Amino acid sequence: MHKLIGLIALLAAAALPGAALAQKSFDVCWSHYTGWEPWAYADEKGLLKKWAAKNGISVKLTLVNDYVESINLYTAGKYQACAMTNMDALTIPAVGGIDSTALIVGSFSNGNDGIVIKKGAAVKDLKGRKIKLVQFSVSHYLLSRALALNGMRERDVTLVNTSDADIASLFLAERDGAAVTWNPMLLKARSGKDVTLIFDSSKTPGEIIDLMVVKSNAPDTLKKTLAGAWYETMAVMSGQDKASRDALAFMAQKAGGTLAEFEAQIKTTRMFYKAGEAAAFVRGPELRKTMEYVRSFSFEHGLYGQGAKSKDAVGIAFPDGGTLGNAKNVKLRFDAVLMQAAADAKL
Amino acid sequence: MNTTEQLSALRQKNLLHIENVYKQYGARVVLDNIDLSVARGELCTVVGPSGCGKSTLLRIVVGQEAPSSGDAFIEGAPAGYPDATRGIVYQKYSLFPHLTVLDNVLLGKVLESSIFGRVRARREHRDEAMQMLERARIAEHWKKYPHELSGGMQQRVAIAQALIKKPRIVLMDEPFGALDPMVREDMQVLLLELWEEYGMTVFFVTHDLEEAVYLGTRVIVLSQYYIDDRGAAAEQRGAKIVADHALPRRAFSTSVKSSPEFIELAAEIRRAGFDPTGARHVTQFNLSHPDSFQTLTAAESRALRAQEGP
Amino acid sequence: MRRYLFFGVHADPPPWLRRLAAALPFVLLLALYLGASQLRLAENPDDKILPSLAQMADAVQRLAFRPDPRSEEYVMLKDTTSSLARLALGVGLSAATGLLLGLNMGLFPGMGAVLLAIVTFVSIVPPLAILPILFISLGVDELAKVALIFLGIFPLITRDIYNTVAALPREQITKALSLGANELQLAYRIVLPQVMPRLIETVRLSLGAAWLFLIAAEAIASTDGLGYRIFLVRRYLAMDVIIPYVLWITLLGYLIDWLLRLALRRLYPWYQA
Ligand SMILES: Nc1ncnc2c1ncn2[C@@H]1O[C@H](COP(=O)(O)OP(=O)(O)OP(=O)(O)O)[C@@H](O)[C@H]1O
Ligand SMILES: [Mg+2]
Repeated sequence: MHKLIGLIALLAAAALPGAALAQKSFDVCWSHYTGWEPWAYADEKGLLKKWAAKNGISVKLTLVNDYVESINLYTAGKYQACAMTNMDALTIPAVGGIDSTALIVGSFSNGNDGIVIKKGAAVKDLKGRKIKLVQFSVSHYLLSRALALNGMRERDVTLVNTSDADIASLFLAERDGAAVTWNPMLLKARSGKDVTLIFDSSKTPGEIIDLMVVKSNAPDTLKKTLAGAWYETMAVMSGQDKASRDALAFMAQKAGGTLAEFEAQIKTTRMFYKAGEAAAFVRGPELRKTMEYVRSFSFEHGLYGQGAKSKDAVGIAFPDGGTLGNAKNVKLRFDAVLMQAAADAKL
Repeated sequence: MNTTEQLSALRQKNLLHIENVYKQYGARVVLDNIDLSVARGELCTVVGPSGCGKSTLLRIVVGQEAPSSGDAFIEGAPAGYPDATRGIVYQKYSLFPHLTVLDNVLLGKVLESSIFGRVRARREHRDEAMQMLERARIAEHWKKYPHELSGGMQQRVAIAQALIKKPRIVLMDEPFGALDPMVREDMQVLLLELWEEYGMTVFFVTHDLEEAVYLGTRVIVLSQYYIDDRGAAAEQRGAKIVADHALPRRAFSTSVKSSPEFIELAAEIRRAGFDPTGARHVTQFNLSHPDSFQTLTAAESRALRAQEGP
Repeated sequence: MRRYLFFGVHADPPPWLRRLAAALPFVLLLALYLGASQLRLAENPDDKILPSLAQMADAVQRLAFRPDPRSEEYVMLKDTTSSLARLALGVGLSAATGLLLGLNMGLFPGMGAVLLAIVTFVSIVPPLAILPILFISLGVDELAKVALIFLGIFPLITRDIYNTVAALPREQITKALSLGANELQLAYRIVLPQVMPRLIETVRLSLGAAWLFLIAAEAIASTDGLGYRIFLVRRYLAMDVIIPYVLWITLLGYLIDWLLRLALRRLYPWYQA
């Protein structure tokens, strides 16, 4: 049903092309995930408003409860920026022709995503198992990487597409279950009896990256606002003082868990508290390799859509000016300029 | 008349026997001390004002409802639950909508067989059923479903359906009540023919005086209009049999309905049962039928006690 | 007297006008869609949200008429048979159970006394709310999906059959007994055939809910099925697959309904709804 409502909204959006150019108020969305909880803090503690005022615009941040829906809404044009992972940024907006920029690289998963199994000890034991996961998500990607690193193929297992909300309890209810998921579900799944974590994202660090993605043609004022608010939040969070503890407690509460749980999740998330680190990461050689993996995986799994002849159909640009794929059709841009500006306190 | 031995003899002799029957729904008394005995071969009509309890009486005879107190007997045995001893024809719902005319008539026979004997039972009794339909003059519609038939045609089938089981007594509750006058007279004639031919015993409920007088060998008038010695508030009381007498058997021709005797008889029954101002005392009812009896309580009739005196 | 073609309570539109009028909203909807789709695609040729007819036809061609390169199966066929099997099993079990329970509850007051309250209770429990419990207790395979459909619709079927039986005129039952029926014959020779068409009607009405439960179950955990596919490709916004699938589901639903209606007319000619 909401597809239909969405459709009508789209028709309206379609009728007003170019309305974005002169606008002064912007809609930004996010969904719950450890690495994005700071956005709730930035919004509710007034940091976002402050930076928006500084740039002479207004920004409305909306929490969309469903992660995929938030990206779909961004892709459909309802939001000018949205929090998502590198893989989804490629397969949904970029492949959908929406020129998007990874404005802020906030963190990467460093153990936050993992593969759990009952009655087993290694990735090899997945052979012949039914594995619950959200197909085509970063979990799927992680599994694919884990299998490849162990000389296995996806054909060696059966995939059961399972909604993320139920994955932990379904996994725990089964005697010989296997699942790929992320925190906080991963924590819950690991808490069960006879459960072994056989692989996690710390074994392939830096491949599952949490971004704030913005439309490439959005004005600088919006980009600066988001970057400014984010890195001010990061500064609060990473301090060793009471303000930092309060911020963490606030985020834990927003995430719907205890402070201890949230801190455990933060431990397996490599947060780029310093803008300089993030800028360096984006400029580094690893990102290119990662994106090569990601686009191969996506193309092989049909995520490029049926029209795509090869994984080169969509171009991915990097700060050094190099590209992966079609340089004439760049739709996903990694850009360090604003992160660098934040690092240099020039926002 | 009312000694215990006499009553017991009547109960044994007659096909249908009802004694001291009361029926009430909550506080509302519908039937008030009904006594009734019907001999074999009788075509006994029951007539009375609308809502007086005729259908209730019939349901008790059928066994669909139990009396609040008192007893009903069929051939001297307690009436019990509905069974094949009593055939029924209602004003509607007699036919099963999911069966064709032929299957409706065959049903009574098919039900006698086991699951496996069904097909054979149908084949064996087919001719008999067709004959029944023939007799009811509805045979050419044997393939149709009930909803494809007119009201009169449906009642023909219903009669055939009940008769094929050769029940000891056929109970009919206003079977022709929904038919228009012409069809109705046809059906009345048909009923008389079948009654004579099969020697049936019929208990026929109607609120139509003429029908009751025309069809019956005996008429029973059920009515709440009567006087007794229990004091005022008589409208709270249940119905009693206020008249019960034999009817002269005339020709089948419906033309008798316009004869003076017929008209006088109908008028008399109307006075006895349908006219509140004509209400009589319980001791004054015309209960001249030889099988008729009355078990009045002391409270109902102090006068009776005084009369019988020492 | 003037007869209006279209407007007012006295209007009596001729058949051609009726058909035209019925087609009009569909045509409008289609035109609206095509217009909007074209607009969006003109602005962004890679737009996935309102795919063109050609794009959808391509997707159907790929899913329905070409085997999947990896599994070598026809994806849409596999999805359809999986979903229909679940639907048939769930609805079939519900119908059988509902018929048996409802019939006995309606005919035998003792059974009614035992079961009526619990069936009413179960029918009020929202099945989707207990979906996770179902999956956890019955596993993620077929059983839980069939169970969801079953739990979702059997109480309603039971209650409907119960009401139908309870509403049968008392006279019919008396009548059957007077023709020599015993209680078993009463239940299975007299009452059962009379509620069968009602059962078909109830199943027809329950099918909408059954589809809903089926798709909900497939969305939570599945390896194939129509609902599974829709939720899967939603992951990368493949509206060119989702829209044809939705239309296909609608068509299947309509077809099943039509078949049941046909069965009702053929098998129970005496039954007038
Ligand atoms: N199940 C019942 N519960 C309560 N009252 C009832 C019930 N059945 C009948 N009655 C009442 O008993 C009275 C007699 O009903 P009954 O149907 O026997 O009358 P009747 O003489 O057959 O009337 P009619 O000529 O209209 O058929 C009516 O007042 C009716 O309201
Ligand atoms: Mg009556």
